[in-house]
Amino acid sequence: MSNKREKKEQMLGYLFIVPAVIYMLIFIGYPIVYNWIVSFQDVTAMTLGSKTRDFLGFANYQAVFADVTFRKALLHTFLYTVGCLVIQFTLGFLFAMFFAKKFTFSKPIRGFIVISWMLPVTVTALVFKFMFAEGNGIINAILMNLHLIDKPVGWLLQGNTAMWGLIIANSWVGIPFNMLLLTTGLNDIPADIYEAASIDGASGLQKFMKITIPLLKPTIMSVLVLGFVLTFKVFDLVYVMTGGGPVDATEVLSTFSYKLSFQLFHFGEGAAVANILFVCLFLVALVYLKTISKDEVM
Amino acid sequence: MKHLNDKQKNIFMNIGAVMIACIFLFPLYWIVVNSFKIDSEIFASTPTLWPHTFTLKAYQDQLGNLAVTLKNSVIIAVGSMILSLCLSVPAAYGLARYKVKGMKLFVLIFLITQMLPASLVLTPLFLIFSRLGILNSYFAPILSTATVSIPFIVLMLRPGFLNMPKELEDAAKIDGCNAFSAFFRIALPICKPTVITAACFSFVFAWNDLAYSMTFNTKDAMRPMTSAIYTFMNQYGTQWNSIMAYGVLLILPSCFIFVTMQKHIVEGMTSGSVKG
Repeated sequence: MSNKREKKEQMLGYLFIVPAVIYMLIFIGYPIVYNWIVSFQDVTAMTLGSKTRDFLGFANYQAVFADVTFRKALLHTFLYTVGCLVIQFTLGFLFAMFFAKKFTFSKPIRGFIVISWMLPVTVTALVFKFMFAEGNGIINAILMNLHLIDKPVGWLLQGNTAMWGLIIANSWVGIPFNMLLLTTGLNDIPADIYEAASIDGASGLQKFMKITIPLLKPTIMSVLVLGFVLTFKVFDLVYVMTGGGPVDATEVLSTFSYKLSFQLFHFGEGAAVANILFVCLFLVALVYLKTISKDEVM
Repeated sequence: MKHLNDKQKNIFMNIGAVMIACIFLFPLYWIVVNSFKIDSEIFASTPTLWPHTFTLKAYQDQLGNLAVTLKNSVIIAVGSMILSLCLSVPAAYGLARYKVKGMKLFVLIFLITQMLPASLVLTPLFLIFSRLGILNSYFAPILSTATVSIPFIVLMLRPGFLNMPKELEDAAKIDGCNAFSAFFRIALPICKPTVITAACFSFVFAWNDLAYSMTFNTKDAMRPMTSAIYTFMNQYGTQWNSIMAYGVLLILPSCFIFVTMQKHIVEGMTSGSVKG
């Protein structure tokens, strides 16, 4: 191939690719950089319109770290993420194993429960809020019918149960997602390995521990890391279901950042919290990129 | 299960699967049935499993609010869909078909941006959009929601374009097609199903968005349905039949798209969010 033709090919390729890349750099890349700048400045409702803003150094970060609510939000975000991951992954795995069995309706039913992933999170949050309601919620009605509780519980109104409400609601969206990714992994395991093991007299449990788990390991890794990133950034669900309450009990990093910026108009501090969230995600994303770059992608 | 023959086993598995689906999809059922209940049934301490008195009142009450917010939702979702398709489909094709320098970097940019949450860029985007004077306009939510769809679609479509036999385009080029007509006349028609799926995803992503539109568009007249239902809940927190009626209308597009093209959606979801 001549050098000139190669150059032309390069140019054509860039024509296809570059517009989308530039767009992402303008609307995601630049805001992220700008967010770091804002986090070192005095940006409040008062200084919003002015051209020059005072440089504050690390003052916004110091203010944030000194705030009790921030420390709570950081802890809650991790608790929430771990809680969701455990439930989502365990049930997602069980569902994936169950629907991997070949019976008449396995595929259509498996496909259908994925619908919860496509629904607006706003609506998911609202229906779970309604189901967890104290006076007329279905969950209280069921539990009272089973005599598990004597009187209605305000699940989302108490600090110690509100977080569980959020975790359950989020798992409803996360379970089919985990199931689907794990199913893809399960399907990639060649059936003859299992057959060979059966001939050698392996039990179901042995096959699971010695074949399924080791061969599924790359999938499991990426499901967990991806799940972490997707869960850690939670915003809509918490914002709609509890608004971070009762009294900060479910405040997470994203809702706290939002409150600082758009309710208290301390944009500098809001940006600082968002950056801390970014650093947490970035570290996990690095692990993720490392695991998938081994596979195929690049 | 050893005593059961294959036929019996099949029946038990199917019953189990149906039960799982019924329990799992109960919240969806709950949204729909409660939108048809009258106030006294909503407020009853023992909820009724289906509306004993069927009514459309909750929907009729919402008609006034609905006209404006529905229009806003449609404009934002369609605008965002067109914008993201125009940028991401060619990019996915270019990344699959051309050996350009820095391809790894480009794929990496999409992989990383796809994982970044809205809450990270809400504050800076708000400040930027405020400078540009496009808060409380359709531009703000359209421009911001497209950033969700673009990387997703690029990663979702790239494998399809990679798997397409290159000979078809080569033959077309020998016949005098240039690179762009090869893209429009050969590649796009072959990958039509996945491109349509991508369009659906980008529509749904923008339609479902709350964070961006709630932050950028605070005027009632500019609110889409998601942020309108949230505002409504804050004002009339216990009017669950009205809230659920709004919810039914909000989930309709996703449900319709999901039911009509379930297979493609499920495939696209796995490739768009994991591999690339």
